[in-house]
Amino acid sequence: MEYVNPEGLRLDGRRFNEMRQIVAEVGVVSKADGSAVFEMGNTKVIAAVYGPREIQNKSLQKKNDHALVLCEYSMAQFSTGDRRRQKFDRRSTELSLVIRQTMEACILTELLPHSQIDIFLQVLQADGGTRSACINAATLALADAGIPMRDLAVSCSAGYLNSTPLLDLNYVEDSAGGADVTVGILPKLDKVTLLQMDAKLPMETFETVFALASEGCKAIAERIREVLQENTKQLEYRRAA
Amino acid sequence: MGLPDSSQDLSTEMEVDAFRRIFPLRFFERHLSESLRPDARPLGKARDTIVNPGLVSTADGSALAKIGSTTMLAAIRMEVMTPSTDSPDEGCIALEFHMPPICSPTVRPGRPADAAPVISKRLSDTILSSGMVDLKELCLVSGKAAWMGYLDIYCLNADGALFDAALLSAVAAFSNLEIPVVALNDNGRIVAISGGKDEDNASIIEKKAVNKEKRKLTLKNIPFSLTCILHKNYILADPTTEEESIMDTLVTVVLDASDQMVSLYKSGGTVLAYSSAVKSCVELARKRAKELKQILGEMDID
Repeated sequence: MEYVNPEGLRLDGRRFNEMRQIVAEVGVVSKADGSAVFEMGNTKVIAAVYGPREIQNKSLQKKNDHALVLCEYSMAQFSTGDRRRQKFDRRSTELSLVIRQTMEACILTELLPHSQIDIFLQVLQADGGTRSACINAATLALADAGIPMRDLAVSCSAGYLNSTPLLDLNYVEDSAGGADVTVGILPKLDKVTLLQMDAKLPMETFETVFALASEGCKAIAERIREVLQENTKQLEYRRAA
Repeated sequence: MGLPDSSQDLSTEMEVDAFRRIFPLRFFERHLSESLRPDARPLGKARDTIVNPGLVSTADGSALAKIGSTTMLAAIRMEVMTPSTDSPDEGCIALEFHMPPICSPTVRPGRPADAAPVISKRLSDTILSSGMVDLKELCLVSGKAAWMGYLDIYCLNADGALFDAALLSAVAAFSNLEIPVVALNDNGRIVAISGGKDEDNASIIEKKAVNKEKRKLTLKNIPFSLTCILHKNYILADPTTEEESIMDTLVTVVLDASDQMVSLYKSGGTVLAYSSAVKSCVELARKRAKELKQILGEMDID
């Protein structure tokens, strides 16, 4: 099947280095301390952060002078096109762990000892790149909750099909069987917190795909910053009024 | 500081927010005596309600309903199944109400919220007993194939009146639902086909209307609900989470479009409801049903 036509257009009309449309909004769940909706094309994710609050299960606490970060990833039953999913399958558990470790790396947990920060992610629509959308949504929600962080954690995926590196794969391109590289970086510090890949790639190709994904991450970071600044302005207007 | 009569003096010294937290009942009663609530609503008025259909493109029908801050997302997926032998001409609806941890600080992961299965059962009973959906419309081939509709409702923000918002989102999702086009293939199994490929599939059964176009269900007797709180001799319509946590007597009335009562629910609580209180609740529910009917009507036109 042809994923990139001879003119360089993909199945949805994008070029190899174009991301899907991003819609991001902060403060959508009024009951949560911080929340955000993040959409990358047709992938829609809601993140809600509760914390810092009292630790509910003391047996989970390992480091006394650091905050405990918990993360739960779940997909709505109607989020995928094919079938109803089981609520807690192995993939959800793996993703919960991956996202928790990514966010834990960028939260300044030593500033909030004896407390718990809960990050809940709900996927409403899945069209590839849910992992990345979740990390981006979690970053926005954590910022909305006022939790101190080293840097924004942003994530983007890239793949390699028809001998072309492609940025931000959707579900069809992801299930094509080519490589899928998900990268999570801290843009200002220029450090990689998450790097996952499946399928085989030669080393040089991997470096190209990785560089493409990092570029995508930086663009998302710009967008997230804009959203947060706009949000702060709105808060300022309301306070002044 | 804990003496009852000294709280009068404290209220002038303390900040409003602190008073709200420490003496919640007195805070509310001060408002109720002026026939108002802290968000400036009159006692019988519900919060602003918004309904948005068709948000989830992967589902066959969906809707988002917001009453104040309470947000519910309902989506329906249709699958083909074999009908049971007692009712070979009828399809089936399976309803599930989820309260994921994002919706409220009191829901812990791994442990379902106490309210979720209760609301799930009540919703299921209300929708089936109201007769809104004619299960015979969900039949494809009598005795062999019928539609099973999986309705999933997710609470995205829990701020009181969960049952009302969930019912509204379910009703809106049903009116947004379009039954997918299917055909019977050579092996006698139903397969889904996308529109425009009818000519390729040689064994289409002509008499089934669903093959020609995606169709919507005819909904009759649409149920509308209103939850009220009873406190002393006040009746508060459409409570928020804060109000529900302080005053524990809730009454839910469900009426349909022709003003018939579909369900009445009062489960315990410190206040006993005399028939006059129940009648007032029904009156408030009637007014609310008119409002909701208009909101749903506007949604369909869009």
